[in-house]
Amino acid sequence: MKPTASEYTGWDETTPKTEAGTGAMETGNEQGLTLAEVRRTLAGVKGKKYWRSIDELASTPEFEAAVLKEFPDAAQEWVDPVSRRGFLKLMGASMAMAGLAGCTKQPDEPIYPYIKAPEDLILGKSMYFATAYPFASGSVPLLVKSDAFRPIKVDGNPDHSYNRGASDPYTQGTLLDLYDPDRSQKTTYRGDNREWTAFMEAWRSKLIAAKANGGDGLVLLSTTVTSPTLARQWKEAQAIYPKAKLVQYDPVNRDAVRTVLGAKDVQYSLTGADVILSLDADFLSGSSFPGFHRLTREYAERRKLAGVAKDATMNRMYAVESTTTTTGLKAEHRLALKPTEIPAFTAALAVALGVQTTAPSYAWTDAQATYLKALAADLKANAGKSVVIAGEQQHPSVLSLALAINEVLGNTGKTVFFTDAVNPMPTVQMAELKALVDDLWSGKADWLVMLNANPVYDAPADLNFKEAMRRAKVTVHLGKHADETGSITDWQIPASHYLESWSDARCYDGTVSVVQPLIDPLYESHTAHEIVQAMLEEPTKSAYDAVRETWQPVLSKSGDFEMNWRKTLHAGWIDGSAYEKAATATVAKVDAPAPAAKEMIEVQFRPDPTIYDGRFANVGWLQELPKPVTSLSWDNAALMSEGTMERAGLAEEDIVEITVNGRKVKAPVLVVPGQPENTITAYLGYGREMAGRVGSGAGYNAGLVRTADAMAVATGASLKKMDGRWGFAVTKSHYQDHRSKFFGGEGTGNNSLEADEALTRGIIREATLAEYKANPGFANEGETHPKVERELTLFPNWDYSTGNAWGMSIDLNSCTGCNACIVSCYAENNIAVVGKQQVRIGRNMQWLRIDAYFEGDLSAPKAHFQPMACQHCENAPCEQVCPVGATVHTPEGLNTMVYNRCVGTRYCSNNCPYKVRRFNFLLYSDYETESLKLMRNPDVTVRSRGVMEKCSYCVQRIQEAKITADKENRPVRDGEIVTACEQACPASAITFGNLNDKGSRVRALHENERSYAVLADQNTRPRTLYLAAVTNPNPALEPVLEEHSPTAG
Amino acid sequence: MATKDFTTEDPRIDPLTGELRVIAPGQSFRSVTAKIADIVLTPHTSLGWLMLLSIGGSGATLLLVAVTWLFLKGVGIWAITQPVAWGFAIINFVWWIGIGHAGTLISAILLLFKQGWRNSINRFAEAMTIFAVVCAGIFPLIHVGRPWLAYWLFPYPNTMNVWPQFRSPLLWDVFAVSTYATISVVFWYVGLVPDFGTMRDRAKSKFGQYIYGMLSLGWRGSVRHWMRYETASLLLAGLATPLVLSVHTVISFDFAVAILPGWHTTIFPPYFVAGAVYSGFAMVLTLAIPLRKFYHLEGLVTDRHIDNMGKVMLATGGIVAYGYGMEVFMSWYSASHWEFFMMWNRMFGPIGWSYWVLIACNIAIPLTTLWVRKWRTNLVFMFIMSLIVNTGMWFERFVIVVTSLYRDFLPSSWGTYRATKWDYMTYAGTFGLFLTLFLLFIRFVPMIPMHEIKMMLPTAKVKPEAVEAGD
Repeated sequence: MKPTASEYTGWDETTPKTEAGTGAMETGNEQGLTLAEVRRTLAGVKGKKYWRSIDELASTPEFEAAVLKEFPDAAQEWVDPVSRRGFLKLMGASMAMAGLAGCTKQPDEPIYPYIKAPEDLILGKSMYFATAYPFASGSVPLLVKSDAFRPIKVDGNPDHSYNRGASDPYTQGTLLDLYDPDRSQKTTYRGDNREWTAFMEAWRSKLIAAKANGGDGLVLLSTTVTSPTLARQWKEAQAIYPKAKLVQYDPVNRDAVRTVLGAKDVQYSLTGADVILSLDADFLSGSSFPGFHRLTREYAERRKLAGVAKDATMNRMYAVESTTTTTGLKAEHRLALKPTEIPAFTAALAVALGVQTTAPSYAWTDAQATYLKALAADLKANAGKSVVIAGEQQHPSVLSLALAINEVLGNTGKTVFFTDAVNPMPTVQMAELKALVDDLWSGKADWLVMLNANPVYDAPADLNFKEAMRRAKVTVHLGKHADETGSITDWQIPASHYLESWSDARCYDGTVSVVQPLIDPLYESHTAHEIVQAMLEEPTKSAYDAVRETWQPVLSKSGDFEMNWRKTLHAGWIDGSAYEKAATATVAKVDAPAPAAKEMIEVQFRPDPTIYDGRFANVGWLQELPKPVTSLSWDNAALMSEGTMERAGLAEEDIVEITVNGRKVKAPVLVVPGQPENTITAYLGYGREMAGRVGSGAGYNAGLVRTADAMAVATGASLKKMDGRWGFAVTKSHYQDHRSKFFGGEGTGNNSLEADEALTRGIIREATLAEYKANPGFANEGETHPKVERELTLFPNWDYSTGNAWGMSIDLNSCTGCNACIVSCYAENNIAVVGKQQVRIGRNMQWLRIDAYFEGDLSAPKAHFQPMACQHCENAPCEQVCPVGATVHTPEGLNTMVYNRCVGTRYCSNNCPYKVRRFNFLLYSDYETESLKLMRNPDVTVRSRGVMEKCSYCVQRIQEAKITADKENRPVRDGEIVTACEQACPASAITFGNLNDKGSRVRALHENERSYAVLADQNTRPRTLYLAAVTNPNPALEPVLEEHSPTAG
Repeated sequence: MATKDFTTEDPRIDPLTGELRVIAPGQSFRSVTAKIADIVLTPHTSLGWLMLLSIGGSGATLLLVAVTWLFLKGVGIWAITQPVAWGFAIINFVWWIGIGHAGTLISAILLLFKQGWRNSINRFAEAMTIFAVVCAGIFPLIHVGRPWLAYWLFPYPNTMNVWPQFRSPLLWDVFAVSTYATISVVFWYVGLVPDFGTMRDRAKSKFGQYIYGMLSLGWRGSVRHWMRYETASLLLAGLATPLVLSVHTVISFDFAVAILPGWHTTIFPPYFVAGAVYSGFAMVLTLAIPLRKFYHLEGLVTDRHIDNMGKVMLATGGIVAYGYGMEVFMSWYSASHWEFFMMWNRMFGPIGWSYWVLIACNIAIPLTTLWVRKWRTNLVFMFIMSLIVNTGMWFERFVIVVTSLYRDFLPSSWGTYRATKWDYMTYAGTFGLFLTLFLLFIRFVPMIPMHEIKMMLPTAKVKPEAVEAGD
């Protein structure tokens, strides 16, 4: 079933036919290519290789042997050619969409060429479809760009009140997930190819047999169910099979919320919050925290300082956390506590604020006590205008107490609300999973059907799920990959991607979105809807019909259902489906447990900021994305403080064996500033063995020491140094470099050299709110804050005063360093993934990076995040030195790259003071893998080896808007051009526009007194300016930023 | 000037002419010709030469392998990365070009200054120049990302009507180096013409006579020939002289024109030229000392030559030292944080050791010892010194290229540089190529200009008495 077009002209019935017709139209380009040739080209090709070393490029037998030895379980991934059938299937898709039709037999059904093209299809003109990415913490409403029926860019739905067009790294990464060449492509039974119907036959016969005993022995294990339709289907199935079970399990789940609130969720609103306290709630880092997009927006809106400086107000954030996150680093005051100390701290705070509870007695240090006191006072002073947010992966007591604090402060109903749970079937997952495993061991489970779950990899280690699973008579795995679970189950069924199948989901505020597919399944994939539907009266009812059936009553309430349905698909949500927000809810009282002894080593397990729980392990963009704070890509690590590392006799990149309750895992060591002592953070999702060519073998599996009773924190770990070194790919200069070396007496002695330099050189400019009020022009005053002097030139300046003058403004006060912009840039600009070894030596290709400078002591750092891409200097140093004129300036002020002209001297890169140019040192772009070709943005060149590239301000979008404006005989409107990074940013930190347009936002921002140019003294005159950050520290706590106040000129 | 009654006890003074001796006493026209021409014309190829050639050939093969792989895979096989986008290729290019400078200086400037002593060494010094330029010229071609398009750097008319970007110093390089290579080859060949005539006349084999005959361009040694030859030499010397200064000046612009601290400095042109001559003379010594030993040419390339070259090195080394000193001084005096940080980082940063290697090799060791005549004429000492100076000069370029780039403006993009085996192979390969070319040169071409040596013989200057003494 095809997507309905964005206009109300559903043409879903005919689309498959017209699609073939598209091919007929397009064959002009590729006429020479015959099917046989395509087959030959494809044979044996398994897509892009990510080099681990130069030797691998050589494909020497020795190296391959070494690889096999190193990753024995992933060995198959390297040598197995993809089945011919798989390729045919894949090719079918590419023929339909890339124009290879005409060289194969036509389908039996009548098809029609584009004698008259569909009304809404203009080749070369993209279409946009509203859909949603279903995620356990709440769906992300999307507007997906489709070019010739291929989804090529995923972005937030700008009309949706929840995210207003913002997205996040995971959501952006799902696009590559769709085109992942390693996806499972064919239903298999014990390794042999089968038809889907064969499975259905087996499943139906089992169901018929099981009907008599009420479905006893039927067990479904699913990831958290996000679809109301699936929940409805299951409910109906349960009526027929009352003894059948559906267990939900995600390795990163919301059990704490379920324990405290049952079937309710808590929602926060930061708009009215002057003071924010995050209790290990990493709500700024990514969508692993429910409501990320909205919370980030609301947080950032309070930091825009739009009005007059002296009346400026902004929020203040406190963060109490263990692992250093961007949330903690954005906070004015961050307190690093061991994970088990956080409940006790919360209890102590609750007591200080008058909540009826008992705080475990604990020897807080002076600094901690001071912090607590100041925090309590500040919260009290801002009662009703504050919010306390509890972390999802914390002990339930933290949420329970945080809600009690909010209640006492009168925040409930103002900044804190209760709603029904976003997930339609809220359960305490761990209890269910344990019961399931018991059932398996006792032989009670006949058929075990796993829906999109990968429990063999991610179930707690002590449950030994892999062995337990073998007790089931028949095991079925529906999953996008034949992963750790799918490769050992009896049946493996390819699962459809959300862009390939119909479903529905609720976002943070409860608004329902219909998950609308944009493309026919690339492979013979199916959905959980179909498997559960098979248990019902109409076993072959499609997901499309099921979803329609679910919403029929709602959409028929007022007006015609079909009309409302189309409206829903067009807009992307069902009007009025948001949950009622209540000010009260039944909150279970959970007392805070006593913290573990201070010298006990604790291991905190967290979802990875880039690959989550491992589900994105095979998404190269996300693997290569430097994690916030550590800038580590392609790996996870045992993150610890420098003190812990030294006490354990370790050094960075050493391999350490972590033993927790007799379970062991070997992990590499990486120091993180701000990590509390004796605390190790282990990101989940790595150490995959069957993730695919990208994800297999990266990092270590923290799940090996994660047990059912210690899913968030394990205490009493011991560390042992092992032989060998790991070798990290850290994308930035290491913040620890030569900490002790400070030259010329500059710097504070506490800072890293990099941070010192960043401040001395005026790269980072920051003031406190009080300083800003006293001196609004601080960002352009003083010796270290040089400003642009436009007249400082021997040559006459180019006149940019007419026409368009493109410029960008980046608000450092809003940027939270969440990385969404980088992944968005990957997708928009066809940026290549280069692999760990290349990243390790500094060759990552990201056009946009987020520079992080750590200031202050390693144990209590402050960080400055600065998105850095081509600054489009008016006086560009790169242009002058290119011997062939491959990088030139446009009259509108763009610094452009002419890829075709570039011979690759790299002189421009050397002369670029911002080092934002990226060079194709080797052939990084994948010209081989068919499925990835479908994904590429047709408006952007795929760069070959030996060519320089860099941020273009999304010139393809500029051109498109200009053409539209030209046709309509009008100037380009402000906001008409949105760069990919700007579009993704949940904090609206990036603004692009025309500086010659007097009413444009970017012009106003450029004229803002906080606006400054990085490296202004180099006279490059960048078109990207930054808004200096302003922080709002609590005077009662040490004013940490005083020393960096601007020195008066 | 020359008087019969002139007497001196100083053995360095020629008693007949009263001039400083350039070549050892006892040489005659015949002995000079025989000595030099027989090295080439002997049918016997020495085992040592063959062994060296096999070493050189292996090196050249290594270069071929390295470059082939480079063309197949891309410049990513080297260590260059972000932010150090230039590495060994540019370092080696500047180094080899620098080495070439001594040859041109000897053949052109010293000719104009009538420094007769240059005659003994100018031929192979010039050959060294050409081969060094060959080695250097490889690098700009292969270091580009798409070498098959390297010709786009040349201003050739094309249907696209696209020209190079003339503001780029890399383009100036193209002109500077190609001019330099052309002039050097022509000058060298013109100087060879009279000697090829001699070779043609002395060759025993038909083949040799044929080839040398072709190469001698019908040289008969008539007065008219000599007159034109001298004029041509002078003119070419006049053309080549500015090149000694301009080529490395232009190459220094590659750096000086950029905005990078550590590159962006006005002292680069003179300092690069001095450094080039410094390393060039070191290379001449590296070649001359074994050569004269091997082919028993002590009478023609005398201790005085070694001594003089030592003096030139002392002078140019002094200029180079001044340049280093000025860089350090200016980094403080400019009150520019960029300069200050760059210099601090260059000295004490993670790759700071390379700076101290350079200081030790280029200043500390040579400029303290070369003052002593006894050491300047000590062959073993001078040979080792020449190697030290050339190591130092290589590190100078390494320091300039790498330590300026790896920690530049934005601390977030700081990185490092670690050469790969392909970097080393390519560099080592150019040594092989150089050695191969040079060995072929000494085997097939008279390595010392016979006619110029003969002009320096007392016989050629003092008449008629000396004739009896001489021949």
